[in-house]
Amino acid sequence: MALPKRIIKETERLVAEPVPGIQAVPHEDNLRYFDVSIHGPTQSPYEGGVFKLELFLPEDYPMTPPKIRFLTKIYHPNIDRLGRICLDVLKANWSPALQIRTILLSIQALLGAPNPDDPLANDVAQRWKEDEPGAIATAREWTQTYATS
Amino acid sequence: MAKVPRNFRLLEELEKGEKGQGSDACSLGLADGNDIMMSDWNGTILGPPHSVHENRIYSLKLKCGENYPDAPPSVQFISRINLPCVDQTNGFVDPTKLSCLSGWKREFTMETVLLELRRSMASPANKKLPQPPEGTTF
Repeated sequence: MALPKRIIKETERLVAEPVPGIQAVPHEDNLRYFDVSIHGPTQSPYEGGVFKLELFLPEDYPMTPPKIRFLTKIYHPNIDRLGRICLDVLKANWSPALQIRTILLSIQALLGAPNPDDPLANDVAQRWKEDEPGAIATAREWTQTYATS
Repeated sequence: MAKVPRNFRLLEELEKGEKGQGSDACSLGLADGNDIMMSDWNGTILGPPHSVHENRIYSLKLKCGENYPDAPPSVQFISRINLPCVDQTNGFVDPTKLSCLSGWKREFTMETVLLELRRSMASPANKKLPQPPEGTTF
């Protein structure tokens, strides 16, 4: 099964010039399927944590966006209990000019800037609005519990 | 064709159910909404019309192992049912007696299994089989 040149190039570049704090490694038996890890941004409640994600490039990528979700439990208003991410560039604002690299950077940025006004996890977003220090404390605890080895 | 990995396949099946795009004759949902591995599922089958099952709703458990969808799910009725492919002691569906399980293909889904069970319930050989009282469980 031939892999499109675009995917090969992106993968090569991810390995040759990795993004700081982000790793993406394709599975040997499925080169469209990546194990990803993202370091929590400094000065965010996720600092010190390493979050595992999985990413899949569908058949019609890059005409459709990559599919990606967190495997590490995370307390964040835009990430639900199954690790699904609410992020505009993964949905309506996807463009084939974007890449795996840019998507992973957007996700890392989302960790640094939660957006409770566009929630996926409603209970988390609610708490984020009503008791931000409490929500941040919980996010920090979860980072300690689930995202540090 | 790109080979969709297990977890993304299961997310597709989940989202099909959440968006109401599945069949009207059956339903599927995660048994535990926090289970990141999405292994355990609850299913229901609406009894087919013109059979002893008409107007009954059957509950089932499905389990998708690590090798799903390369390997089929295991399927167990919770509601008691008298059907040749169902073990009468515990409700498990015998995979050798249901063609979609014995001849499993990667493109099959949990819905494929529920719909084939429903067809089996409506088949001429089975549609008049005496059934246990409604609401009893294995």
